[in-house]
Amino acid sequence: MTAACASVLVLGLGNDLLGDDAVGLHVARDVRSRLAGAAGCAVRETMEMGLALLDEIVGCEHLILVDAIETGKAPPGHIHEFDADALAGRRIAAPHFVGVVETLALGRTLGLAMPRDVRIFAIEVKDALTLSVSLTPEVQQAVGVAAGRITTLALGLAGPGA
Amino acid sequence: MNAVIDQVTNESAAPAAEAHDQRRRVTIEPITRLEGHGRIEIFLNGDGDVEHAYLQIPELRGFEVFSLGRPAEDMPQITSRICGVCPTAHHMAATKALDDLYKVEPTPTARKIRELVYNAFILEDHALHVYVLGGPDFIVGPQAPAAERNLVGVIGKVGVEVGKSVIAMRRRVRELITYFGGKVIHPVMGLPGGVAKGLAPADLPRFQELAKDALDFAMFTNQVFHDLVLKNADYVKLITSDTYTHRTCYMGLVDPQNRVNFYDGQIRVVDPTGKEYASFPASRYRDFIAERTEPWSYMKFCYLRPLGWNGFSDGPQTSVYAVAPLARLNVADGMATPLAQQAYEEYFNALGGKPVHHTLANHWARVVEMIQAAETMVALTADPGLTGSDIRVLPTKKPSIGVGVVEAPRGTLFHHYETDERGLVTKANLIVATQNNAARIAMSVEKAAKGLISKHKVTEGLLNMVEMAFRAYDPCFGCATHSLPGHLPLRVRIRDSAGALVRELVQE
Repeated sequence: MTAACASVLVLGLGNDLLGDDAVGLHVARDVRSRLAGAAGCAVRETMEMGLALLDEIVGCEHLILVDAIETGKAPPGHIHEFDADALAGRRIAAPHFVGVVETLALGRTLGLAMPRDVRIFAIEVKDALTLSVSLTPEVQQAVGVAAGRITTLALGLAGPGA
Repeated sequence: MNAVIDQVTNESAAPAAEAHDQRRRVTIEPITRLEGHGRIEIFLNGDGDVEHAYLQIPELRGFEVFSLGRPAEDMPQITSRICGVCPTAHHMAATKALDDLYKVEPTPTARKIRELVYNAFILEDHALHVYVLGGPDFIVGPQAPAAERNLVGVIGKVGVEVGKSVIAMRRRVRELITYFGGKVIHPVMGLPGGVAKGLAPADLPRFQELAKDALDFAMFTNQVFHDLVLKNADYVKLITSDTYTHRTCYMGLVDPQNRVNFYDGQIRVVDPTGKEYASFPASRYRDFIAERTEPWSYMKFCYLRPLGWNGFSDGPQTSVYAVAPLARLNVADGMATPLAQQAYEEYFNALGGKPVHHTLANHWARVVEMIQAAETMVALTADPGLTGSDIRVLPTKKPSIGVGVVEAPRGTLFHHYETDERGLVTKANLIVATQNNAARIAMSVEKAAKGLISKHKVTEGLLNMVEMAFRAYDPCFGCATHSLPGHLPLRVRIRDSAGALVRELVQE
């Protein structure tokens, strides 16, 4: 779909106008500077969602997604970490768009080159409904922590050549 | 008069809302915001029947404050970033508000480019809804096992090749939008009086080919809808069932011949009998649309101002109106293109004439609109004026007030800006499609719930049937731009009169 993907893709999701919603984008930028062009790793940011993700992820071997989340069950800034497979089999509940699990399932059904594994980092937000271009302090402090973990994971997945 | 009615209603509503909380309550609640923020609350009375039900949609905060003092020219970029679902609709409505703000008409070529981009966007967004969002309800079927009621289930029904065409069509439409404006979210296309980039004649053939393929695709979709939906008596019965029927007013844009137009025109309103009630330019929207708050929701519910608020009721007295595909077809005297006109006639013939009051007919109306969008793309790409080089009129007048309107895929979208003489925003207001539809959506959710809950007994399939009641409108849930983690289970919580949880249902 788009240019050939690196072996490891770190993809930051979010809306840069909606306060904490942008945390995934901030983390991606931080990871980019830490990886400093390491071989086999690519970092991208997108404000899009749903099927638009297909354009981004086709062709990469390992995908690391980083996004905002609001579970209400963890303090703001908490970093949730899980595999996309853990969410497999859930039904469509979203009335308006397609989630990442479904996007992956769709890509596989259509015979597109989907990543072998998908690791998700989701950072608990405090306020992602007020228009603003800055993160709340609690969420801001999680950016570096998440970026560090993701960088380590990405380098490990890319292998010794990285 | 309106103020007095509001006050009386609100006074009686407050104790009623309090009493509600003491009664049994059913909540259908997604557990993360990433599902789109929607939550359904169902309140039962002492007998265990539904007293009231509604869809709660969190709203964005701070839009006006964020906009104040910014150059009006930034608004097409800012508003297109607010919502990841319909960035092109916001971009276009904001651009048209700038035309009005500076009292400048775009050149004929610029208008054609805008219309090409806009119709391509409508086609793509509608296709996504038909196959991806509404598909599980209609193509797979409301009675199918939950495990199949998803996108992969849709592909299973229509075939992998069709799935690939949907994805390919979507990608090519986005390439067209990107050609004129760069990124889809954050486009730099619309400027007051024109567009930023013209179409090079050498690039025309590929867009002509896209338009032709888009039309084939729209006609194919029409066929799929006929084969899988209309030939199934159960679906047709469901579409026309009383549960999903409301006799309200309708609103939508029409061209000078009163035909459907997505990009521009007069706003036409018809009453529940289909008779024209009003026809007005965007600049007069406040004379016709009023917003109302309710103690149990932070949503604003729009109604027809001259009629006053007559409650969440349908029938001859209603001041509730709907927007979106069903409404657009109801307000128009016809479609603007020939194949769409044929489909339009078939639609009204099959559904018993105008107006159609069946909410689920939105899905069919959407297919009719896809045909018009594609035919319009074909016509525009055959027009030599499209590749002209005169793409902008420079504004020279002092700005003060600008109102722009388009038909977003989900319905009429208004942008209203006021500025000082330097063009810095002093006031900003949006009325988005879902706000226009909010009162009717509330009525739909309540009616569906009432049909499915009786004497404390919750009928199997409640969640799905209630969801179908609002999914047909394709409501925009704030601005969740996320996809992660996607689909966690919906929960139904049933509480006793003291508020304690007595039962929890989780729909995987």
